[in-house]
This record gives sequence, structure tokens and C-alpha cells, in this order.
Amino acid sequence: MRTVRQALSIARKDLAIELRTKESLNAAGAFAIAILLLLSFVFDVTSEETRDIAGGLLWLVFAFAGALVFNRGFARELPNECLDALLASPLSRSSLLVGKAIANLAMLLVVEFVSLFVFGIFYGIRWWLHPWQLAAEFVLATWGISIVGAVFGALTVNLRLRELMLPVIIYPLLIPLLIAAIEITNILFSTQPSWADGLLWGRLLVVFDIVFTALALLLADTILVN
Amino acid sequence: MDPRNFTFMFYGFLAAWLIVLLYVISLARRGARLKKELEDVRRLVGSAQGGEVARLEDRVR
Amino acid sequence: MREKIAIGLAVAAAVLLSYNLYEMFMVLPDEAMQGAIYRILFFHAPAAIVGMIGYFIALTFSVLYLSSGNLRWDSLSASIVEVSLVFSVVNIVTGSIWARIIWGIWWTWDYRLTSALVCVLIFAGYLMMRRAIEEPTQRARLSAALCVFGCVDVVIVWKSIEWFRNNHPGPVLSIRTGGGTMDPAMERIFYLNLLAILLMAIALVLVRTRQEATAREIDSLRRLANAA
Repeated sequence: MRTVRQALSIARKDLAIELRTKESLNAAGAFAIAILLLLSFVFDVTSEETRDIAGGLLWLVFAFAGALVFNRGFARELPNECLDALLASPLSRSSLLVGKAIANLAMLLVVEFVSLFVFGIFYGIRWWLHPWQLAAEFVLATWGISIVGAVFGALTVNLRLRELMLPVIIYPLLIPLLIAAIEITNILFSTQPSWADGLLWGRLLVVFDIVFTALALLLADTILVN
Repeated sequence: MDPRNFTFMFYGFLAAWLIVLLYVISLARRGARLKKELEDVRRLVGSAQGGEVARLEDRVR
Repeated sequence: MREKIAIGLAVAAAVLLSYNLYEMFMVLPDEAMQGAIYRILFFHAPAAIVGMIGYFIALTFSVLYLSSGNLRWDSLSASIVEVSLVFSVVNIVTGSIWARIIWGIWWTWDYRLTSALVCVLIFAGYLMMRRAIEEPTQRARLSAALCVFGCVDVVIVWKSIEWFRNNHPGPVLSIRTGGGTMDPAMERIFYLNLLAILLMAIALVLVRTRQEATAREIDSLRRLANAA
């Protein structure tokens, strides 16, 4: 319980900083909308085929925007040795990691919601057909992305080539999660959703989240060192 | 049966051996480079330590 | 001592490979349905097996590093990942060439190929990342974490696409031909070749680990030179 409370306080701190500066949100949001705009020139947005690949387009955009968010996650603690202060504090390492992941999750969900709205306008996709299922899928998939982003954001915080290395490391790891998210999104956007398939892919999302969160918590003390 | 059967088998073997060969060559080159670097650094440390000993000897004398 | 073992293993592998190649081309007949090209499987499947085993052994050493902090485990883990990556690439390339003739396509998204590709991407990233970090302890820590996450991820990709392969029917890669078991003569050469490739891999790992140890020695001597 204490870990959860500590994690939430870290998340609250990060979100408060973000709301004041809006650096990550603006960058990620602008990037997402720019990519969506570019992609709308690639495909004929009214055709049926585009409807079939809509999920893929959306999750690619989210993955790329996510990288922008994670880069800032631990990097914002570097000036004034804030990271050392956090590590020296009585906060447990796992709560620090989870807190950062929760903050990533919140920021990414905002970017995703804005992108979804713009996507609906550019591509004419009716994404509101199954809102609860879509929301659940977004939260689960984005949590998977956030926890992996937090772990590798922490590991690469001191690297010179962090902005380059982080996407190179994270994207192959996220492949199963992104596949599942894309499939579920395509199912939820279709006129005749196949719930059986959706549940199968949903199971993969849950497994991914549980396994990687457990790994992150297990390795938290090794990941976050001075 | 596809007439390119035998040719592609040859390509397959070529690919496998080529990849391993390229790796072995890169390994050999890396080994040679590391060996040279080790000798250089050993000489550097030797001279540094030798220099220190010479300075100490001067002070004693 | 280690060099002698590596040379010994390399020579044994070379002898075994020569024997196998002779058997493959001179003694074994062409396969009934596949023709001559089935012989690629004698390198393709062992490379895949050696690669996969390598990654999980590297995982063990990564965990050992994380618990003990001894950089020797990190060196061993990195060497094994590098050699496994070479064999994984051999696996994918030879598989592609075989598939072009047998299935008529260079690639398909079934679970084995997709997991093989994800594996290569993850561990290529691992090696790229190691090159980017100079500080040994930080490099070791990051490598170990990536190895752990990577191996778990490969298992997840493998299992998940296997569950879903019913939705995407496709050719199934198998060493068993036409539903029956492999001809015993072919199976013998297959296992002998697996042994040969394993010996080759171990020899390469020994050489690579020695190089890593040399690199560590250079690093520590440099620090000594700077301190002096």
C-alpha cells in the first residue's frame, strides 16, 4: 500500500510539472497530429482498406509519440541532481519506477485521446461505437508501453545517445503488445466485431502487462542506481 | 519441381557460410586490434610507472 | 589454455562438418518432395536451435551478473548473445532462401519466423547499445536488463502468435517431411550437423570472451595510466 501511495505521489509531482510546462504533451501531441496528417496523404482515407488498417496507423502514431514522452521521463530529473535526491530519499525504487510509469500513462492517454479525436475527423472512423472496450484496451496497452518506457528510460538516463537508443531498444520489445493493440483496435472499429478474437488478443495484453510489470518491480533496485 | 532448386540450395549454403565467415573475419580483426591496443597501453603504463620509479630514485639520491 | 580448447573445438567442428558435407552431397539422396534444397535444413534448423539456446544461456549469465555484480558474467553473456545473433541471422537468411523455392515466398508471418525476427531485432539493439556505452558497470547493467526483458519478450511473441496461428493459416516449418518422420539416415546427419554447429558456436564464444577480457584489461590499465 505504501508503495502505491509513494508511486502516486511521484506521478502527481511529474504531472504537476508537466501541466505547468506542457513540454512533453505539446511535443508528443504535435508530433502525433503531424504524423496522422502525413499518413492521410498516403492512403485513400475513404476506402474500406484504410478502415482495415486504421488500428495499425493509430498505434504506430502512439508508439512514436510515446518515445517522446519517455525520453523526458527520467531526463527531467537530471538537472540540479534531482534524480540523486530521489534515489537518496526514503522512497522505494519500485515506487519511483511505477510512479514514473503512471505519469507516462496519464500523459500518453491524453495524447491518445486527442489523436483519436483528430483521427476520427481525418479518416472518418467511428471510434465511439464501443467506448468502454476501447477505453479498457487503451489503458491496458498504454500501461504496457509506459512501464517498458519507464524501465528503459531509467536505464538510459545517463547516456549521451539516449534519444537515439531508447526507441531502438523499446520498439522490438513492444512488438507483441502493439500487435495485440492493433488487432483489438481493428476489431473495435469494424462494423461486425469478433468478440472472441478480441478477448484472445486482450488476454495477450493482460499477460504482457503483468509479466513486464512484475519484471520491472523485480529489477527496480538494479535499474535505478546512483 | 522448381528448376532453380539446385541453384537456390547452393545460394543457401553460400549465405550460411558467408555470414559465419564474415563474422570470423571481424572477430579476427577485432582480436588483432585489441592485442595491439593492449601492448600500447602496457607500454604506456610501463613508462608511467618507470618514470615514477626514476623520480623516486632521484629523490633518494 | 582457453585458446587451446577453442582451437580444439574448431578443429573438431571442421572435421565433423567436412564429414557431414560429404555425406550430405555424396551419400544422401535428394528428398522426394523437396528435391535437392532440403539440405539447407541441415544448417537452417541447427542454427536456429543454437541461436535460441544461446539467448537463454545468456539470460542465465545476465541474471548471474545482476545478482553478483561480477563483470565476467556480463562479458560471457554479451559474447554468447553476439554469436547467437550470427546464427539467428544464418537461420533467417537460409530459411528465406528455402522458403522461396518450397513455398514460393521469401517471408511469411507465422510464429516461428516472427519470433525469430523479433529476436534478431532485440539482440541487435542489445549489441548496438553496448557499443554506445563506455562505462563498464552501466553497460553491464543495461545489457543484463535488456537480456532479461528480451528473452521474456521472445517467449511471449512465440507463444502468442502460436495461439493465433489458427487465424492465419500458413505453411508450417517442420523438419518432418510429408507427415512422416525424417528418414533415419537424414536424421543422423542432422544431429551430427547440430553437434558441429554447436562446437563451432562454443569455440567462437570462447574466442569472443577472451577478447572481452582483454578489453577489460585495457580499460583498467588505461585507468591506471590516467591515475599515475
